[in-house]
Amino acid sequence: MSFADIWLFLQQGVWSGLVTGSVYALLAVAVVIVFKTTDVPNFAQGEIFMVGGYVALFMILVPGWHYAVVIPATLAAVAVICALFQRVVMERVIRAKGVGVQLVIATLGLAYVLKGAVRQTGLGDSPRSLPALVSSDTVMIGDAVLTRLDLMILGAAIVVMLALYVLFNHTRIGKAMRAVGMNPRAAQIVGVSLVRIRMAVWALAGLISAVSAILITPKILITPDIGHVAILAFAAAIVGGITSIPGAVVGGFIIGVAENLVGLFVSTNAIVVAPFLAILIVLIVRPQGILGGKAQVKKV
Amino acid sequence: MKNHFDTWGLVALAVVLAVLPFTASGYVLYIVNLLMIYIVLALGLHLVIGETGQFALSHAAFYGIGIYAAGIINNTWHPNFVVSVLAAGAITAALGYLLGALAIRMRDIYLALSTFAFGEAMQWVFLNWTEVTNGSNGYQMSPARFFGFELTSDLGAYPFVVLGAALMLWLTVRLSRSQLGAAFRAVRESDVAARAMGIDANVVKRVAFMCSAAYAGVAGGLYTTFASFIHPESLGFWTTILILIMIVVGGIGSVRGAVVGAVIFGLISELLRQVLSFQEIIYGLILIGFMMFAPRGLFSGRARARKASPGGAGRAGA
Repeated sequence: MSFADIWLFLQQGVWSGLVTGSVYALLAVAVVIVFKTTDVPNFAQGEIFMVGGYVALFMILVPGWHYAVVIPATLAAVAVICALFQRVVMERVIRAKGVGVQLVIATLGLAYVLKGAVRQTGLGDSPRSLPALVSSDTVMIGDAVLTRLDLMILGAAIVVMLALYVLFNHTRIGKAMRAVGMNPRAAQIVGVSLVRIRMAVWALAGLISAVSAILITPKILITPDIGHVAILAFAAAIVGGITSIPGAVVGGFIIGVAENLVGLFVSTNAIVVAPFLAILIVLIVRPQGILGGKAQVKKV
Repeated sequence: MKNHFDTWGLVALAVVLAVLPFTASGYVLYIVNLLMIYIVLALGLHLVIGETGQFALSHAAFYGIGIYAAGIINNTWHPNFVVSVLAAGAITAALGYLLGALAIRMRDIYLALSTFAFGEAMQWVFLNWTEVTNGSNGYQMSPARFFGFELTSDLGAYPFVVLGAALMLWLTVRLSRSQLGAAFRAVRESDVAARAMGIDANVVKRVAFMCSAAYAGVAGGLYTTFASFIHPESLGFWTTILILIMIVVGGIGSVRGAVVGAVIFGLISELLRQVLSFQEIIYGLILIGFMMFAPRGLFSGRARARKASPGGAGRAGA
């Protein structure tokens, strides 16, 4: 491989990686906000994302609605599913003195139900994708070839991230979410309703998942098993530090770029295993992640 | 009273298991064999999660290593199956001891995710190390042998699988009543406090990983006595989760719970194959239902009562 080839591959890998990485970053943010406020690694994250894609697909194929209707309807539907799950199931598990592992298994239950429900609709029988939002004309950035769709994905993801930044730093509810994440008891004492905030966080996670689903499904084919991309979101969250939202964003981009570079330089077969190696290496070398702050020591 | 309950339960179970091969069909025996494997797997996970409190999600990987190790030994040397089962257990025990190093560096979700990553990486190895595992085509294993006999049917393997599971159950009870079991539980409650009492928490954690992996390896070895084929697809994260569900539904930290949970969820996942189209929805609803209405598991009330009682030996759960 000559130097020019390597340079070309590197540019292509980084730009494509940033595009897919932006979606991983959004999903990782969803994982992190749920983990911070409810202490649950949400193993249904991938399936929530998958449902987002299929709800949109259903509304476009069956009633034949326009995107302008489909997008808000999808966001609302997924957010409501998530909020209801937290309110009805998770609160009940918490009240029954369920701890981490029970909550995790409840989310696994949700994952199974969502997957089974999508299979029932029959839409999942063959891989599908959404009609394109924008044309897929190619755009050159340096020597890398991207499509307009890619640029829109990256741009929209960044807009969502900025919106989240504003939400968490400049709104009451965003600050309340952060407060619950830091110290639920103290937050409750100053008048934050834990039940309501946890519900809002799950709804927000659903919203983010639905956005990423609508962004990426015109680019890729989805099946009911697409939920395994959540593994990449978890990898991203771990790389960045599982309690850090900026970390999740950085981690998402890192995983996306790493995945593409591994695919281009090593072999496409190694793509699948790369995130696990990333998880293992990061956890062994720096368990709290890149932006996770100081490692915490648990005291008696 | 509790001991009577257990004794009579075991006697009844032994009678049923002894009569079964004369009355039941091959399919039922296959299910029972599979349930025995699940019991051994659940006991292994119980040791590391229930007793020691270390969230290891790499169980299916060790199970897989056990299956491939025993299968390869059977295919190459055709030894007595006891040899291949023990060899599988020894290999996974060694690997488990090595993986236990992770538990020294991290805890809780970090440990869960790193062991999960190890499990997924192992599945990738099973799928891609084609020269050894035959990759995604699955691996064909020659029948296990026992002093010249070939165990070719579920019936032939049945007595050995049942005895093997019984042996592992006995071993688990012995282990949790031993000093090592007490050390496991001390580390679970607080590894700092355990250290203060002179327990080397790092070694205990690694030994717990080792035992757990050895159980999974033995389960894998036993699997090769009645099955002749293994596909890497069935050795992934969802198998680990199935075993985790078994011990959680049974009641974390209870041997009884692990056994009953293994039987219940082994049967549920097998029965649900009959209703393929609703399989996932029903399974998910069962999980959610259990967690909503009995999150502490079926055998936790007993354990809590004993913990509260003065002079009780803690949550022995044996």
